[in-house]
Amino acid sequence: MIDIDLQRTQGNFNLQAKCIINSPVAGLFGASGAGKSTLLGIIAGLIKPSAGHLILDGEYLFDNKRGIDIPLHQRRIGTVFQDSRLFPHLSICDNLNYGFNLVPQKNRRLGFAQIVELLEIGPLLTQKPYQLSGGEKQRVALGRALLTSPRLLLLDEPLASLDARLKQQILPFLRRVKDEINIPMIYVSHAIDEILYLTSQIIILEHGQLLANGNFHDIIHQDNVQNMAYSLGLENVIRAVVSKHELTYGYTELTQGKQTIVMPLITAGCGAPVTISIAASNVALSLSRLENISIQNQLQGVVTEIKQIGYRILVTVNMDECLIIAEVTAKARQSLGIRVGSQVYCLMKAQAIRPHGFITY
Amino acid sequence: MLVDSISTLNTVFTLSPAEIQALLLSAKVAICCTLVIAIPGVAMAWLLAKKSFFGKSLLDGLVHLPLVLPPVIPGYLLLLLLGNQGLIGKWLQTTFGVSIAFTWVGAVIASAVMGFPLMVRSARLAISQVDTGLESVAQSLGAHPWRVFFTVTLPLAMPGIVTGLILAFSRSLGEFGATITFVGNIEGETRTLPLAIYTYTQLPGGDMAAMRLVIISMTIALGALMLSEILERRATKRIGRGNVA
Repeated sequence: MIDIDLQRTQGNFNLQAKCIINSPVAGLFGASGAGKSTLLGIIAGLIKPSAGHLILDGEYLFDNKRGIDIPLHQRRIGTVFQDSRLFPHLSICDNLNYGFNLVPQKNRRLGFAQIVELLEIGPLLTQKPYQLSGGEKQRVALGRALLTSPRLLLLDEPLASLDARLKQQILPFLRRVKDEINIPMIYVSHAIDEILYLTSQIIILEHGQLLANGNFHDIIHQDNVQNMAYSLGLENVIRAVVSKHELTYGYTELTQGKQTIVMPLITAGCGAPVTISIAASNVALSLSRLENISIQNQLQGVVTEIKQIGYRILVTVNMDECLIIAEVTAKARQSLGIRVGSQVYCLMKAQAIRPHGFITY
Repeated sequence: MLVDSISTLNTVFTLSPAEIQALLLSAKVAICCTLVIAIPGVAMAWLLAKKSFFGKSLLDGLVHLPLVLPPVIPGYLLLLLLGNQGLIGKWLQTTFGVSIAFTWVGAVIASAVMGFPLMVRSARLAISQVDTGLESVAQSLGAHPWRVFFTVTLPLAMPGIVTGLILAFSRSLGEFGATITFVGNIEGETRTLPLAIYTYTQLPGGDMAAMRLVIISMTIALGALMLSEILERRATKRIGRGNVA
């Protein structure tokens, strides 16, 4: 358990974070400059807060009132940075051993061989960091941090410097670490999909202030998170259940209340709950069911609210058990004559539906 | 005719005992000077690269002063300080019976003072270029700041430190002004290569001997500079900054 109540003022930037993290993996989300890395740096001991306290598993790491500030090297908190920060003068093996050798035998919870195997870095051991690819470097950096048997692992945008293909390769390793090694983690990212792949427990930071802390599905609908959700294309976050995989055509069918939703294949068993999202701008409205059209998802509902935010017109459609928000132009709204109470069909391309927490094929 | 010219060549390239003595003394002084300033040089470089404190620019200025002053001034100040009648020199003599002035140890001190800023400049630059991110990650892996210094900062700054030491070594070989002012020009004790060259140029018929020593000095200096280049390149390659030309 991590009890955070920290403030830091630097110039115009004011960071204020007060929360308790109980989940094994928490995702710290926010736009660039929201203060994510600063908060993580404070927890790690790299940055000094102005005031507050930080308690990890009952031990005070920082408390300005009691004059406690445990130095970085005694915190036993592992950190993986965006730039892997491998020691360029040491071999991969020596990099991994750097922290491992400093841990007393009795405190070691993970073996060298175990980590090497888990992260599949055996063939790299004799190489030098400059010979490694970005993805390999991050795996080594992760292994090096894990080998210190930390009480908490901080991941500061570990995938930010990798391209999409490499991200897809590293994410499963992170999940493996989460599943097989019992070390609490805080994962920082400005990519919500990455976070959701690892955990649904999310802390949202905006302009240095903590907006929300809790389950993604619960907090994404909070009023103060709405603007952020809308700007991320997360107007519609829906929980559904996998009902069928159609391998011939390459799609998965989900059930949401009485509705059926078709989306690209995902790796979840039948009956598994999944969270999906579709951006409001990817939802079109029609007054009647369309026959000659490629769009698979045509969900019927009743308009309950029409909101205008700037030039965006957001139409909320109620379909018994969930709400779907569609973004239409003012002209379309007028020509269709959409008003509260109208019966409409929400048209959603299967390909536009994003699953959260899965890798799509 | 042929025999004649060979014997002439022989006399041209044969060093006299006095010349050999000057050469060996120079080597001894330069090696000792390098050894003496290595640790204080790295410490000072670290202090100037990493720390901010009151009076830092004054300290920085003092360290670098010998670079810009006429060498006779540091030499004279050393004489005032460490000479037999000097502040510290007198105390050393009465307490320990040790005299530094006019000995080869004094020559080491004179060239150490002159070489120190070269060493510090180079090492300081190297230390400040070590990625602080690597130092902090080492700490987060559980290493005490001291361990971080010896296992991360120092190895990564080594090319610059070695370059600094070689520069100081070369400077020591060429030291003239401060040495002659502080410890004089005593054959076999303080007459290093430059002092010997100077002495021969003042003697009638000493041109040949002076020229021999000039060639030797130039060869050693050039060799040292090339060596520093090679060592630096090798060290840079070892720490893996990829293909350094």
